[in-house]
Amino acid sequence: MDNTLLVSLSQQLASYRSMDVIANNIANINTPAYKRESVKFEEYVQQTKPAEGETGTQNISFVQDKGTARDLTQGAATHTGNQFDFAINGPGYFTIKTPDGDRYTRNGHFTLDSSGRIATEDGNTLQGDGGDVTITSDDGDIHVAKDGTITGAHGQLGQLKLVNFANEAALQKQGASLYSTDQQPTAVASPQIEQGNLEESNVQPVLEISHMLEVLRAYQTTANLTQTQEDLERSAIDKLGAAPN
Amino acid sequence: MRALSIASTGMMAQQTNVEVIANNLANMNTTGYKEQRAEFQDLLYQNVEQAGAQTSDSGTVLPTGIQLGAGVRTAAVSRIMTQGDLSSTSKPYDLAIQGSGYFHITMPDGTDAYTRAGNFGLSPEGQIVTDKGYTVAPGISVPSTALSVSVNAQGQVQATIPGQTAAQTLGQLELVRFPNEGGLAAQGDNLYTETTSSGSAQAGVPGSAGYGTIQQGYLETANVNPVEEITSLITAQRAYEMNSKVVTAADDMMQTTSHMGGS
Repeated sequence: MDNTLLVSLSQQLASYRSMDVIANNIANINTPAYKRESVKFEEYVQQTKPAEGETGTQNISFVQDKGTARDLTQGAATHTGNQFDFAINGPGYFTIKTPDGDRYTRNGHFTLDSSGRIATEDGNTLQGDGGDVTITSDDGDIHVAKDGTITGAHGQLGQLKLVNFANEAALQKQGASLYSTDQQPTAVASPQIEQGNLEESNVQPVLEISHMLEVLRAYQTTANLTQTQEDLERSAIDKLGAAPN
Repeated sequence: MRALSIASTGMMAQQTNVEVIANNLANMNTTGYKEQRAEFQDLLYQNVEQAGAQTSDSGTVLPTGIQLGAGVRTAAVSRIMTQGDLSSTSKPYDLAIQGSGYFHITMPDGTDAYTRAGNFGLSPEGQIVTDKGYTVAPGISVPSTALSVSVNAQGQVQATIPGQTAAQTLGQLELVRFPNEGGLAAQGDNLYTETTSSGSAQAGVPGSAGYGTIQQGYLETANVNPVEEITSLITAQRAYEMNSKVVTAADDMMQTTSHMGGS
């Protein structure tokens, strides 16, 4: 009889985690190139003894959250007019050099550091085909072509490189819009970079809010089920435990 | 429950966003003002189930793991250093920079500050100063007898003096550039100061390679685009609302929990 409670519990724990994932999606609605995530549920089946008067085995299904799936679709590009904002149109990631090794990102908001290198807001440098890309103040305004070629007032300064991975979904989020992986990066054959634009997050507000309500209602329904089960047990104890007349 | 704190990071981030937008709109008519933008990044992730973990002896692995995020943070409020429009004022000491560079201002305490707001005037001693009375480096004095003062594109200040046929050169204005303009610290009063992230100031003559030119009788308007700001304001407000909905939903869930097993 406790199985009802345990099955409900498994659903409630899963709901809590879904809610956390939805909250994170909504919190990052304005984070450039943020990719929305959703929880994947799995059925966990346990065989138990048959109930009294029945034959064969009985299966009980618990719910389990087995993973978060990342939606890798591209976010819309918004025009910012900032010369160090680069949106990637199509596949690929920028390579960022951090003290902990190479990291990858699609968040194309960059700035210059004090030595004139193109860097993220945290001061980690963006890698071009020849390492760091340094812009001196003599170079004036820079122009980045679609293929990533950076040109200043005195000619070419380098080329941005985009990389991709065999299994994009397995990249680990590190926070600060960075991903890490053990996989070997491969260069993207024909990169498409849009200067002066940023890729928005691909969070769909309507989807997230309706998903959130769905999770909330499912949680409340399960809570009601638990309540009903408890009432049932209580009345069973009352009835069976009552002294015979 | 994590959803509550995650949603609160979202609300705080959007609040910063609205504050930045409000400041941009408030400075729409400030000479030489450069638009600011709040930049967001996702917070750290907790690995609940590691992607790539082995799921059997034969080497099968989990294709995706579970990573739980902790919300969002404001990574920076960056400045967009695009050129503002030039508006004509016909005043001799209104100077606009067309292109890159800053005017060099010597503060009363002797420190250096930089500005793009060229609404200058004369001090009682005849020096070219800002509207606050701070000296515009290198400190050019205009004789009181001068009939007219002209500043050419290269920053040369010349005056026509009665009884002289040729214009008299009074001095040379200089412009200053930085490796990373975005790293300058705003001090209010349209002034910026150098920081470690901006790099050190590099002085040069207006019109030389990499430096802008000077337009006399013009002022650079703010580069704030009202339509863009209002659109961002709407987006920020909606995002704030949505985060507050998450707070309500998380609260409802906890309330349901606390009522479970009651009666």
